[in-house]
Amino acid sequence: MSVIGAQEGNTGTIDGRVHVVSHPARRLATAGAYPGRTVGIQAEREGSELDNVIVFVDTEMHVDAQPQRVTIRQTNEEFVPHVVAVTMGSTVDFPNDDLIFHNVFSLSRAATFDLGRYPRHASKSRTFTKPGIVKVFCHLHSHMSAIVRVFSHPHFAIPDRDGRFTIPGVPSGRHQVTAWHERAGEVTHSATVEGGGTAELSFSLPLSDPE
Amino acid sequence: MRPPPFPRSPRLVVKVLGFAFTVIACVIMAVFVLFSWHTNARLTKAVADNMEASQLRFAGIEERLRRERTLQAMTLAENPTLKAAVDTYYAERDSGLAIDQLLSTIETELTKLQRMMAVPALSVADVRGVVLASAGPSKYDWPAGARLRLLVEADGAPVETVVARNGRQYLATAAPLVLGRDVIGEFFLASPLDDAYAVALARESRADIAILLDGRVTASSTPAPLRQALDGIALPLSGSVVLGGDEFVVRRLSAVDSASVYALSSVTAAARTATSEAGWVLLLVGAGALLLAGGGSWWLARTVAMPIDQLTSSLARMARARDLTQPLPRGGGSRELDVLADTFDNLRTAVSLAEAESEAAYLGVIGALAAALDARDPYTAGHSQRVADLSVAIGRQMQLPGADIETLRLGALLHDIGKIGVSDAVLRKPGKLTMEEFEQIKLHPTLGARILKPLRFLDAQLPIVELHHERPDGRGYPHGLKGEEIPLFARIVHVADAFDAMTSARAYRSALPVATAVAELWRLIGLDFDPQAVQAMAALPVALAEPATAVALAEPAPTLETVEALGALVPFPTRPAAVVNQSAQLLRRAE
Repeated sequence: MSVIGAQEGNTGTIDGRVHVVSHPARRLATAGAYPGRTVGIQAEREGSELDNVIVFVDTEMHVDAQPQRVTIRQTNEEFVPHVVAVTMGSTVDFPNDDLIFHNVFSLSRAATFDLGRYPRHASKSRTFTKPGIVKVFCHLHSHMSAIVRVFSHPHFAIPDRDGRFTIPGVPSGRHQVTAWHERAGEVTHSATVEGGGTAELSFSLPLSDPE
Repeated sequence: MRPPPFPRSPRLVVKVLGFAFTVIACVIMAVFVLFSWHTNARLTKAVADNMEASQLRFAGIEERLRRERTLQAMTLAENPTLKAAVDTYYAERDSGLAIDQLLSTIETELTKLQRMMAVPALSVADVRGVVLASAGPSKYDWPAGARLRLLVEADGAPVETVVARNGRQYLATAAPLVLGRDVIGEFFLASPLDDAYAVALARESRADIAILLDGRVTASSTPAPLRQALDGIALPLSGSVVLGGDEFVVRRLSAVDSASVYALSSVTAAARTATSEAGWVLLLVGAGALLLAGGGSWWLARTVAMPIDQLTSSLARMARARDLTQPLPRGGGSRELDVLADTFDNLRTAVSLAEAESEAAYLGVIGALAAALDARDPYTAGHSQRVADLSVAIGRQMQLPGADIETLRLGALLHDIGKIGVSDAVLRKPGKLTMEEFEQIKLHPTLGARILKPLRFLDAQLPIVELHHERPDGRGYPHGLKGEEIPLFARIVHVADAFDAMTSARAYRSALPVATAVAELWRLIGLDFDPQAVQAMAALPVALAEPATAVALAEPAPTLETVEALGALVPFPTRPAAVVNQSAQLLRRAE
């Protein structure tokens, strides 16, 4: 039980904008060996890379929170959404919307699992109990991947279409706030949160070569 | 035997044979050489074309293989386990947590793939270009942790390239590991460009393979000398080069960066078997043709030259035998030769006729001369003709051949021709001959021989003329020959001469009866007269004409002594008794 979150009214909000500068060098003009192999039309991912960004308070402190139940759908050979952020103990459902079999597995330390293959309209779920990055793949379709980031606290947010985010209920005090993207890496800024106040932060994530 | 006029000239048959054979052989050899050259050129061309076609085909196969390698790399790069492990590894690389399990997942997956692929090296690098794991026999050239980025293309398309790893050259195919739209790593298929690779390629392409890097041979399936010959040579993309004296068909199968793979096929080596086989066949045909040419030449030589040869040898034989009586044999070889033989025969006939005419003329002259000689003395008129007839009769009795009879006749006709050199005074002297006169008489055989000697056609008659006064007991003249030393003809003529002299009248006596003459012959047989000739003479009808009992001479017959003396001393037994006596006296005196 965290000290920070113990006192009501002693919390503030962090909000701001995330800006993703997409690096064209890392975008593929051709998609894999079998571009025509996918079922249906593999639509361009809706939205922008902003959907794949998580802004979070970078702390390992444990804050109890209500477990969530979120869904990552398998649609048109894609995991949608690509990135979800949950608190520990949350459960993720993986319903299959496609006419084909799908599989869900992960090699990540935070959650190593294999839900096996299952057909359309079937769904399997997984409860994540350890914090960390869980990379989820489909064994049948090697181009499919999703990320479940599990936090020990609820102080995280995914920016909206405009890149705006709001993390409410952050205990007052000085915090390290990180914006993370699977390819772009992460950018961390400091923010001082006062009770009832709002700290503004601005992140710029270049999707550059990760060397 | 006379030597041939031109001993060094070859025979016509040899010349014709040699000439015909040389010409035919030259033509055959020329055809042979041209044909074998042409065949060799054609064979070499065919082999080169064949090799070029096969290399072209293999180049196509190699190009397809290259595409397949790329596709293979791309397909293998789609492996979900590899992708998941690489991506997870990448996400957790900086977490400080143990990531060995992820790396061994990758390595296990690579090992499984390598077992299926039998590629020397399979390798995976992450998106930073750090090798995560490798598999295959050559994996030690691709160790984990090594930095390697082959996908420099912005769009991440697969590439094939040559990489140096630990000093070894690798042909590497790289494909991106793609997740969604992102490149999360690189996947490599690599084969070392070594001799084993070249040999494997060579086995598939059925040509020698040379791998050149920047113009230098890094690997080849060829033997060392050829490899050295290849170094530093600018090889054409396709075409032919001469290496170490052999012609090679060359084609560049592929070129990756600075490395080129060439296929080489030795036309010379491939054509050698074919050309040598063809050469043997041609040689056999050529030898057969030469044999035929030899046979043909021989036949030609026989047909053309042999009749001429026969004609020539017939002529030579006739010339040797001085016999122009026989017509030339007709070879039937050709019309020309027959005309030649006819012409020669006509000529020969003409010459024979002319010769015969001139001989006849000579004989006529000589016969006339002899007759004239005989006519100098009325007592000896017709003597030569009678002796001739008698000699012929004796010869016939002795069964001599016809030619000998003729020789005998002429010799006898001319036997006293030498008396032309004896003066009338001596020859017609009715009385006794003095010693000198007799010596003069004795000269006539030698003189006759001298007169006739220039007449070559009377060669056979010369001994008769010269020796018709020799006696078997050696007391004759001019040489005093004995018995068999005296030619038979001379002995016959001697008998005939004596018989005619005895049976002819002389100025100093009448003719002796035949029987007396025959008796005389018998009496002096072996001494003055040849026994054979006497026996033959005695058997003649002329000798038997009068029986011995009828020998009753009106005139006193010569005494035995007289005849004895006559036989002993006088060449002519019919010499007058006075001469005989005189001779006897001379003899006695001499003794």
